[in-house]
Amino acid sequence: MKNGPVFFLGLFAAVTISWAGIVLASHAQLGGLVPYFDDTEGKSFPERPAGIAARGQLVYADLGCASCHTQQVRRPGFGSDQARGWGDRQSVARDYIHQARPQLGGSRLGPDLTNLAGRKPSAPDAEDLLKLLYVGTPVHPRYQFLFETRPIVGEASAQALRLIGNLAPAAGFEVAPSERAQTLVAYLRSLNNTYEYPEARPAPAPIAAKGEAVAHGTPAASHQETKQEGKK
Amino acid sequence: MSTPPNSDPRVDQAAVTDESLLAVHEKILGSQPDEKARYKLLPLNLLFIFSGLIFFAGTYMNRYAGRFDPHIYDENLKSTKGEAVAAAPVDPVVVGKKLFNNAACNTCHQATGLGQPGAIPPLVASEWATGPAERVIRIVLHGLQGPITVNGAAYNSAMPPFGRVAGSGFNWSDDKVAAVLTYVRQEWGNQASAITTEKVAEIRAKEGDHKPWTAEELLKIP
Amino acid sequence: MTNAPTNAASAEVTAIDSGARRPLLLLLGAALVWLVVSGVLALITSIQMHSPGFQADCPVLTHGRAAALRETAFIYGWAANAGLAIALWVLARLGGAPLRALNWAVIGTIFWNLGVAVGLVGIATGDMTSFAFFQLPRYVQPLLVVAYGAIAVSGVLAWSGRRTDQTYASQWYAVAALFLFPWLSSAAQVVLLWAPVRGTLQALASGWFTQGVWACWLAPLALAGAYYVVPKVSGRVLPSYDFAPLSFWTLIFVGAWTGGRHLVGGPVPAWIATMAVVSCSLLLFHYLIVGLNLRVACGAEGTGIKFIRYGLAAYVLGGVLDGITSFRGIALRTQFTLISDAQEQMAIYGGVSMMFFGAIYYMVPRLTGRPWASALFTVGHRVLVTSGVTVLLISLFVGGWIQSGELLDSKIPLADILGHLRIWFLLGSAANLVILGANILFLVNFCQSACVCSPIQASTENLFRQPTALEAPVS
Repeated sequence: MKNGPVFFLGLFAAVTISWAGIVLASHAQLGGLVPYFDDTEGKSFPERPAGIAARGQLVYADLGCASCHTQQVRRPGFGSDQARGWGDRQSVARDYIHQARPQLGGSRLGPDLTNLAGRKPSAPDAEDLLKLLYVGTPVHPRYQFLFETRPIVGEASAQALRLIGNLAPAAGFEVAPSERAQTLVAYLRSLNNTYEYPEARPAPAPIAAKGEAVAHGTPAASHQETKQEGKK
Repeated sequence: MSTPPNSDPRVDQAAVTDESLLAVHEKILGSQPDEKARYKLLPLNLLFIFSGLIFFAGTYMNRYAGRFDPHIYDENLKSTKGEAVAAAPVDPVVVGKKLFNNAACNTCHQATGLGQPGAIPPLVASEWATGPAERVIRIVLHGLQGPITVNGAAYNSAMPPFGRVAGSGFNWSDDKVAAVLTYVRQEWGNQASAITTEKVAEIRAKEGDHKPWTAEELLKIP
Repeated sequence: MTNAPTNAASAEVTAIDSGARRPLLLLLGAALVWLVVSGVLALITSIQMHSPGFQADCPVLTHGRAAALRETAFIYGWAANAGLAIALWVLARLGGAPLRALNWAVIGTIFWNLGVAVGLVGIATGDMTSFAFFQLPRYVQPLLVVAYGAIAVSGVLAWSGRRTDQTYASQWYAVAALFLFPWLSSAAQVVLLWAPVRGTLQALASGWFTQGVWACWLAPLALAGAYYVVPKVSGRVLPSYDFAPLSFWTLIFVGAWTGGRHLVGGPVPAWIATMAVVSCSLLLFHYLIVGLNLRVACGAEGTGIKFIRYGLAAYVLGGVLDGITSFRGIALRTQFTLISDAQEQMAIYGGVSMMFFGAIYYMVPRLTGRPWASALFTVGHRVLVTSGVTVLLISLFVGGWIQSGELLDSKIPLADILGHLRIWFLLGSAANLVILGANILFLVNFCQSACVCSPIQASTENLFRQPTALEAPVS
């Protein structure tokens, strides 16, 4: 510690090495991840979200929804993620490559939303989600600032919420979702991880080593990728 | 040395000077030139703990790092010999179903496999669909034209070639042909044998770019 | 017996303290204001846990935004300002010379706090970045790095211009914290804000930053103060001090590798989580040595040392818990639950903040030349804040344990789990209320101690007892 330059160099090296080891190394491994082309379906997965959904993700981020909702399903054996119907497979890095701001989240006060639109038997539709946002539940806050109560001019808006009882607005008024509410709901309705990538269903470990390895460290997934890149 | 009492909570008294604090602790680190007895002070048990932790870290890393493969998410996937970690095989029936319902099959034969009376023959309980592999493979590879009798009813239409042959608008690989045939032969109560990719490849190699088959031609094949 | 210089000139309070008075009190005052602001926000977020409708119609205080505001005000407002003040003072004291470039420090302090304020407004109005410990909008982040650099210059000059060649653990930790934060922040800004990496790599980079901020910035700032105050007040040599350098380098080198700690089972390759597990285990050595070194705090008396004792216990215990919960078998249960929150609060409130409190209680009388204004407020703050934090941690740990058990059972709906946690959420709100009250006492006490316009008493010699020389251990 006496030697100033060496001390500073050591500090700098500490940060640089961990940076290189975690951020750069994983970037080298995953930064070039391409969508997986499925020959059977004739499409690449994940599919690029619609523009309105991508904008909705920004609303999701700026309201801080991620402070109570995660968007990552863990593999069987890790909690009750799949038993709760949050997804049929674990989330993998490829799921997120089209997302500008992945919202993995860190707390599960609310349910996981990874596969909200792909849930079986019934995924919530836009009306369910808008009503949840407007009305709330005993455990979910209501976000009425995302809606506008306005007088009905001419014909009632098709987007207005159908509210009954004491929630209904005064006669001659309607409650319509703002643009932010609509993009947020479009985003939530785009959350879907039903497609199974090869890396999400790894084969069980081989029981015995079978002599010389045939293909050195070439998992099926990277094989597929090369095929697809070759086609382009 | 006794600790001076700190009776007033409003101000903490210092017991020692900064200079002596520095000097004494620097001396412990043994960087004073006249200090020789550095190593006798090292408690070995702490060194032992440190090296134990390093040893544990190395072992754990070796066991659970998944060979640093970016596509391995399960740390228990251990294959020490550098073998490829393959994805679990996909059930051909699942793939076949997707193909059947995404592509052209269901537009004519219907998702129910019942076809259209008079034009498109059914696949359910059909003696053709569940019949010899040699015939069904040829139908899907190269297509079928002209009249055909299925379950005693006559049909007359044309089926396009699906295989990777000249004139095919679909260009399906042998994998896909095998998968969709397996699906057809094992769905809706059909219980015929599965079709392998190798069998499809063999027939495609044998027949080449055959023109669409007719029912009579096919009936000559065992 | 000892060869340490013991000239009579080394009075306890010198020009080193009086020269740094205004800049350091400015930093501390800003820190305490942010501490109270963050306390108010903590109260709001904890009320929202049991009454989700609370302030929900107010767009600037949705639970997500309020939580981000609380965390940002705590880290960048309270911890940064307080930690910098402590680090600068410790470096000046041990360097044996008055701080230089203090004008830069003052300008830096003003701009830093301006940046934090603008950033908080930005978060409240929808510009937050949604990365943990890094929610400040990107338009204030470069300003913060520059302002930080301006403040840190004083500290680095005090280190390089120190009177003796000897160095001490406090100095290593302080210099490391001063030097490393700008690197951490700018590296994270590049890959998260200016040229974002793709997909889950953002989560990885964010994890690296969060753990880096903890291990290379917050923890060293706290330890810089604790390593200074403990031997000064106790008058005893630190035991096992020969391992302090190894412990220091373990923290600095291994700390940020724990970045994948919260991504166990998540959409990142297995080796990243494994690396985090291994690093958390290696860090146990650091926590062990810190515990051994500073255990002499147990025999000493004084307001500051009592805080440091609490902080030390929370710091070491928190490190052990980090090590345990990083293992996959445990993480699958504790992940995504209040236990994660509990561990974070244990680290940044129970550990770091308590050590900051201890150092501040020791330091302010020396800066002002006066004792703290009120003995009642001093004791009151200590009793209330320690009991408040203890209750808060208990509520989070117990609630988290119940929550984690029920999350495992897919038959219990999430709404029911929240219902079962209600009593613990209420307890948490009560604890946050107590903590807020305690910190308001602290702020009032600080203002009375620092802002009275009367000239400094001439009787500092009577106020501070003349310290003696530390005796070398007999081995």
